[in-house]
Parts: sequence; C-alpha cells; structure tokens
Amino acid sequence: MVKNFGKPQKGIISFYKRKSLFFLVLFVFAFIGIKVVQDNRYSADASIEEMVSNSSDRVIEIVILNDGSVTVDGEKVEQKVDLLNDSDELRLPILDNSGQYYDRITVNLNLPKNIAENTEHEFLGIHGVGDTNSKVSSTNRINYIATNVSSQATLTVVAKMPTGTVNPPLGRKILKLIEQVRGSYWFIAAMLLPILTFIIMLALLSSELKQQKIDMPNHEISSPPMAIPPAIVGALFSQKVGSREIAATLIDLALRGDIVIVDRERGFEFGKSKFDQRLLGFEKVLLSKIFKKNIYSDRSDIEERINNHFYSKKISIVSSGVYTLATRLGYFKVNPQALHAKYRFIGIVAFFVALGGFVSSLVWFTDPAYVVFFWVSMMVTALIISIIASRMPVRTIIGQEVLSNWLAFKKYLSSSEQIPFSENNQEVFQKYLPYALVLECEAAWARRFSEHNFTVPDWFLTEKNGLGIEDFCLSLFPIVSYVGRSLAALKEPGFE
Amino acid sequence: MSITKNQFFNRFLYGGGILFDLCKWVILAAVILILVHKFWFTIFIVDGLSMEPTIHDKELVLLKRYTNSTSPERGQVVAVKYPGDPDNKKYIKRVVGLPGDKVSIDSGKVYINDALYSENYIPFGVETDPNGSWQLASDEYFLMGDNRPGSNDSRYFGPVEKRFFLGKAETIIYPRLKKLNSL
Repeated sequence: MVKNFGKPQKGIISFYKRKSLFFLVLFVFAFIGIKVVQDNRYSADASIEEMVSNSSDRVIEIVILNDGSVTVDGEKVEQKVDLLNDSDELRLPILDNSGQYYDRITVNLNLPKNIAENTEHEFLGIHGVGDTNSKVSSTNRINYIATNVSSQATLTVVAKMPTGTVNPPLGRKILKLIEQVRGSYWFIAAMLLPILTFIIMLALLSSELKQQKIDMPNHEISSPPMAIPPAIVGALFSQKVGSREIAATLIDLALRGDIVIVDRERGFEFGKSKFDQRLLGFEKVLLSKIFKKNIYSDRSDIEERINNHFYSKKISIVSSGVYTLATRLGYFKVNPQALHAKYRFIGIVAFFVALGGFVSSLVWFTDPAYVVFFWVSMMVTALIISIIASRMPVRTIIGQEVLSNWLAFKKYLSSSEQIPFSENNQEVFQKYLPYALVLECEAAWARRFSEHNFTVPDWFLTEKNGLGIEDFCLSLFPIVSYVGRSLAALKEPGFE
Repeated sequence: MSITKNQFFNRFLYGGGILFDLCKWVILAAVILILVHKFWFTIFIVDGLSMEPTIHDKELVLLKRYTNSTSPERGQVVAVKYPGDPDNKKYIKRVVGLPGDKVSIDSGKVYINDALYSENYIPFGVETDPNGSWQLASDEYFLMGDNRPGSNDSRYFGPVEKRFFLGKAETIIYPRLKKLNSL
C-alpha cells in the first residue's frame, strides 16, 4: 500500500537557503576576525639612520581655532584638540615617512588665546631626527624646530594648553562628558539595566498570571468538554502554536480519515486519503503545505521544502489561523500573536539601537570606551523583553473557565487508573490522543491502556509487525519533535 | 507609494525579525569577542626586530589589558600607543623605568636611581646607547626594546604616560609557545 504512494527520488543536490545564510554569516564574521588579527600589528620599532642625498628647509603654519579644530598651512585637518581632564591637548603628527630629507623643519603653532606661557610643549621626533626643540615666541605662538629630519621620520607637535582654552561644539562636549564617566559606573548601569528589566517583566508576568489564575479542578471530566479542534485547545493551554499543536492537528486529520501517517526509520511521510471540503482554514493550509500537488509527500519532499525556505508563509498562516479562531471564540482578550508582536517590536528596536550605539561608541570614543557595556546590557535587555513577553498571558474569563474544564479533562487523561478493555475503549484511546498531545499528557494517557491488546490504527502505516501500544507510542510520539524540526520552525518572524 | 503605520510595523517586524532571528546569537557572540578584545585579552602580530632576542619578527603574541587597578611593572613586556601618533602606531617594548624613577644611560649601562640596573634579557656584551638622563613624572614610564642597538624607544621619543599603555604581553602563542614577563 505504501509503495503505491511512492515516487522517484529527486536529485540530491539542492540549495539550502537557511544553512547557506547561516554559514555565510559565520564566514563573514570569521573573515573579519582574521582580518582584525592580521592588521593588529604592534611594531617592534627599530631606529633608523639615513644617508643624505638632497636636502631642503620647510616651514609649517598650524592654527588652533576656538572650537578646537586645527588648520595646517590653511587647510583644516581631521585631528582636533583633545579635551583631557587636566588640559586641552593637541598631539598632531605633521610629518610621517615623507620621502624627503629636511635640514630643518620649523613649525609655528598659533594658539587661540594668549596662553603660550602656560602651555607645555614638546616636539616628538623618531626614525631619524637629529635634534628637536620648542620655545614660546609670543603670547599666543610656539615655535617647534627639528633638524636633520630623515625621509622616514615621524614628527609630532605636542601642546598641552590649560583646560578651557578651546570651546568645542555641544556635541563634542557631551561625548567628552560621557567619556569621562568612570568605567565602574557604566559597569554598574550595565548590570542594573537587564536585572531591573528582568524583575519588572517578571512582576508584570506574575501579576498577569495571578489575575488570570486558572482554578485547578478537583474533578475529572471523562470526555472533551466541547468539540473544538485540538490545536485550539493547545493554543488555550500553552498560549502558543508549536510542534504539539501541529502534530495533534495531523493526527486529528488522520483520525478523521483525511490523511495517513507513514512511519519511516528517520521520520514520517504522509499520504492523502480523501479530498475533504469541510476542513477548517488552517487545516487546509497545513495540508497544502505538506501536499503541494501530489497525494503523497515523502521525506525528501518535506526536507526539500524545509531547506529551500527561510520561512514558510503557509506554516505562519496555520499558527495565525489557530490564534484568530481561538480569539474569535472569546478565549483571548486580544490576539496573543498581535500582543506579543508589539513586545517583539520593542525588543527588536532596542536590540538594533543598542547594536548601533555599541558600534558608534567604538568609533567615537577613545579606548577604553566603557560606555559599550551599557549598550551590551541593552542588547541583553532586548532579548529578555522578547523572551518574557512571549509568555505574557492574555486569556479572558471565558478562556479561563474553558481551560479549567479542559484541565479537568487532562486530569482524566493522565489518571493512573487502568481503563477496562473493550472495543469502544480502543477507539477512545485514538480519539483523545490529539488532545492528550496538546495537553502534554500523551504518555500518561497511553499508560491507561497498557494492559490492552492493541491494534494499530488504519491511519498509521508501518512496516513493523505486532506492535503493542507501547511500541505504537514509541513510533508515533516522535512526530512532535519531527514536526518541530521540519514544520513549526519555519514560521515567519512575527508569527508564533 | 505611502505605507500605513500598520504596514510599516508589519514590514519592520518581518525584516527586523528575520535579521534578529538569524543573527542575534552571532551578533552577541561577536559583541562578546569585541568586549574581550577591548577589555581583557587580544592577540597581535609583532612587526620588527626591536624586541630580539626575546620576541622575533612576525610572532603572534597574547596581550592582557591593564585594568584601572593594575599598573605596568618593571621588566614587563608591554604594548603602548606611540605618544606621537597614538591613533596609528602601536609599539611593543619593555618597561625599564617606573614613575618617579631617574633613568640614566652612561657608558653603555643603564642606571635606575643611580644604581646599576641588571638586565638578563639583553645578550652579553650588548651596550645601551646613547648617554642620557630622564627624571620620570608621576605617571610616566621609561620603555626600551631588548635589541638595544636597533630599537626606537624612550631614549628617542621620551617617557610614555600610562594612558598610552595597551596591555601586558603575556605569551608568545605562535609559532612557538613561550611565556613572557618571567624574568
């Protein structure tokens, strides 16, 4: 029978988008890491002496403007006056490996105020510089002189002016203020932010849970309290549409004769038994995901569909359909998916703002930029928001009452008492199995039938012979993790 | 074509969500690596011969960052930013003089506070030139390369303030394994 559904195996070479993107991202980061290490060269710098071929003199004019910017021979340079705690400092390399030998280089530094006498000055020269000195030439001017400057020399003008000499724009002042905050303060802020967020989110969660407390029933109900699909019960119970809800829907469809489930050594395959027009919207979409145009979907079909997609619109619609139906039935105040999407939006915005702040801090602030700890903690905070928010309960009073009834049914399903053997009870086992799956008590439910002579249902095709109920469960229950791996994981972002 | 607030929300959630789902752990891992690199440890390649025979050209060295509470010690191999071009030049040298010290070089020998300073990492017979004397301020260190005749260091560019220190060179990790700073 199984063979009739079979079809030729497709080629084994296919493009797996998810895996490819993951490895691409890893490759990019690894490449950047290698480049960083390669470029992270610290010079064991040697002294240099040079033979003189031709020589000349040079005069350089430097002006420090009021806002801390600097011009060299009339042209503005990138370097600015640095605002230190005890001085306003200019440290400007004016010559580096110029390729030209100079007998004498004279630098005239023009200060923005008459503070030359109060300014510490130094002319640093390496890689072949004969002699350097600097002296005050007027109230706002310092002369730096270097002689016998080699073609590979590096010359740097250093001037430490009194604090407040320059008046930089507000933006730079703010950055400087942030930079001057002690590292330990940033570290404390970085610890507090996620901890406080975690406590607040937990308080919110526990307050919602308290308000929506479900009365644990003392009694058992021996049949489902109402005729609703198992996926809806699962959404009401766990407030998510995950692998259990999808697996339960598949088993429910099999029970109703719409599909058959084929047990394979490394997974499951599915066959379509009939074309039922009375299916719910999300059930139709789920079936259309599994069976594209064929009536049999083997492992390679399913794997191909999984690996060729980052996300599946159809699987997202399935979960959306379940939530919408449950909300329409009055079980949720608002669609849980929409509510959680709002929190997720906040989480994503916070995460990327923090990432932007982290990168900017590395660029704008001089090392060590302790402010980065704050941004990292903001990223962790964003993750905390998005994780805890997805567990926020939104059941209505009706939803709580209905769930209470279903919990009474769960109590019956997970009772330790054996169910006496009868032909009817064999059917009951199968009928309630999807509910047991979404109420997370399938093993306990199966144990209640452990002393029965078991017949494998028609909708479950397997090559194994003489399966008892325990073997049947061992073969069928992995469908939850199989669905989790293959279908539920394909939901688009924003769908739960 | 204008989009509604709701459409923007959904599009952001979709696009940002994809990026968030696929990259959040990779981004966090990269961020943690950057934090480690900036604040705890990093690795770098030595470029040049001025630390011979202790460290050879092109060797890969593990560097441990200094914290606010730790200070360079005499004899430690350290990485510093060159005070004349802190944004672009980083050097690896050895700490010889500490804040407050008087460092003198006379007739090929190094003196700290007028006492002869013994340096067992310098090959026998190698002398230190040129003669000079430096009085270090409260946050200044005197650095020299182990390859005295072929090193550009504090003898030429003067003492280095603590703010220019990047960290302590701990271990050569490639192509040989050798712990540094064990004098």
